[in-house]
Amino acid sequence: MESKRNGASNLPPKRKNTHKSAQLPSTSVKDSRIPVLPEELVTQILLRLPVKSLLKFRSVSKSWLGLISNPEFINTHLSKSANNKDFTHHRFMLSFCLPKYNLKDCSASSLLYDSVAEALDLEYPTKEIRRSVEIVGSVNGLICLVIAKKYFLIWNPSIRKFKKLPECRDELCFGHHSMYGFVYDEVHGDYKVVAGFNNEGYGYSFLVKVKMYSLNSDSWTSLEDFESGVLGTKSGVFVNGKLHWANSVYRRSGWDIISVDLADRTWGEVEQPYYGEGDFGWTLGVLGTDLSVFSNYRRIQADVWVLKEYGVKESWIKMFTIDIPCDPRMGYKFCQFFCMSNKGEVLFHFGSTFMIYNAKDHSITHRSPHLEVTGYDYEASIYIESLVWPFFQRKESRMQQRRRLK
Amino acid sequence: MSSSTKFLTLKTCDDKKFVLDEAIAVRSQTIKNMVEDDCVSNVIPLPNVNSKTMTKVIEYWKKHSEEGVSKDVLMDFDKAFVKVHHSILHALILAANFLNDKEILDMMCQEVADRIKGKTPEEIRKEFDIKNDFTPEEEEEIRKENAWAFE
Repeated sequence: MESKRNGASNLPPKRKNTHKSAQLPSTSVKDSRIPVLPEELVTQILLRLPVKSLLKFRSVSKSWLGLISNPEFINTHLSKSANNKDFTHHRFMLSFCLPKYNLKDCSASSLLYDSVAEALDLEYPTKEIRRSVEIVGSVNGLICLVIAKKYFLIWNPSIRKFKKLPECRDELCFGHHSMYGFVYDEVHGDYKVVAGFNNEGYGYSFLVKVKMYSLNSDSWTSLEDFESGVLGTKSGVFVNGKLHWANSVYRRSGWDIISVDLADRTWGEVEQPYYGEGDFGWTLGVLGTDLSVFSNYRRIQADVWVLKEYGVKESWIKMFTIDIPCDPRMGYKFCQFFCMSNKGEVLFHFGSTFMIYNAKDHSITHRSPHLEVTGYDYEASIYIESLVWPFFQRKESRMQQRRRLK
Repeated sequence: MSSSTKFLTLKTCDDKKFVLDEAIAVRSQTIKNMVEDDCVSNVIPLPNVNSKTMTKVIEYWKKHSEEGVSKDVLMDFDKAFVKVHHSILHALILAANFLNDKEILDMMCQEVADRIKGKTPEEIRKEFDIKNDFTPEEEEEIRKENAWAFE
């Protein structure tokens, strides 16, 4: 079906008009018939629907199936959902290792705006309670999981499709040296997983064997080894085409921000500001599209720093300071920032709870999702509901071709 | 009223005429372009919009052009504005598209999306006047792929 940008496209396609203005769609309102929308306007409506409705509506007609399966539609739907300021199509995935390995799922908008947000168990591929499950990262609605510290999966929970990645013979690093990341490489239109594997050497500092998986080639290749100290965050932070981790090298104080460039596969380092004197816990994150550092002073107060212009040391600014309402005797808790609400509040995750920080009055509100069993820490990852497939759809397109030929 | 106020006459497909302040009418990008290109004669014909739909559009334009209206009042107005039969929603979508008014188009498309998201494919076909062109086997196969979405 072709669509035109001018007013003539308002004519219902099914009616044969013999005269220019005799039977226009608007007249059909009178005879209680519904004005038929041209495909471009149907598309405008479908772009605003949640994934689950779109999956249902694939069976409406051949033209709707074609529309909803169209890669261009899938991409536009994704960017529209991603830019939704109310976070209607965003969700949080929570990963637990206690009391048992599990993933839960909760709507981001209800966590931000509703009085109660329900977090429900998520059936993930190859689920088994004795095998560990960790979230490597999420991009474009795809989640990368690592199961039993060995098997990587790329999974879209919204369309329930997944792909198991080919296995690596090496053993994945864990503990303080655990490092991985999952990103979309825009330059090559490819999804990539980066992971650190054990090499020879023990102690506080050793060489990590780093490998990168590409979905396009469906294989792992080696990057340059990397001298790991204690890594602050397992999951790498993706900004400016590079994955970043916080690394604390043995016998040196403080943290380095190290990065690997996905395009030219080189390692680099990001210069940092002077954070001040003190005993800092430290987390790397993204605020908006900027690299950010959450420096947690004696576990009672945290400064949030943002690198406004990538590569320019002077552009680090301290955005705000948050008083963390928690017991300073508690252990260091992993802390992550997620999003700014439409009221300019910041949602972050800390240990076993979410909090909202309001920069206007410096208030903090606890926003914990409702869980059956409470008190256990979890890690959280934000994702978008999307129609993006976790593998290239060669089989699917063949099936559709077959359908069309029938 | 200032002497500089210019009025435009819009004529809908059912030959009804609407006289409107130009400053309000140019909320339509289509009309704005016509005004800027200086190709506006006395009457602007709107061959794709009927008077019932145009009355709604003008009601929206006037409310959103009023001065000193609070955001809350506008939000309440918008909420009430979209509470119409779906045939009128479709007519408004077509009109907004022809008039090139992105604000109304966005709001109406969102309203239709909110209304249809929980519906079944059968209900959608009825609402959009679509013929089911799948064979029963094809339809079954497609439904099976995402059976859980129908739960």
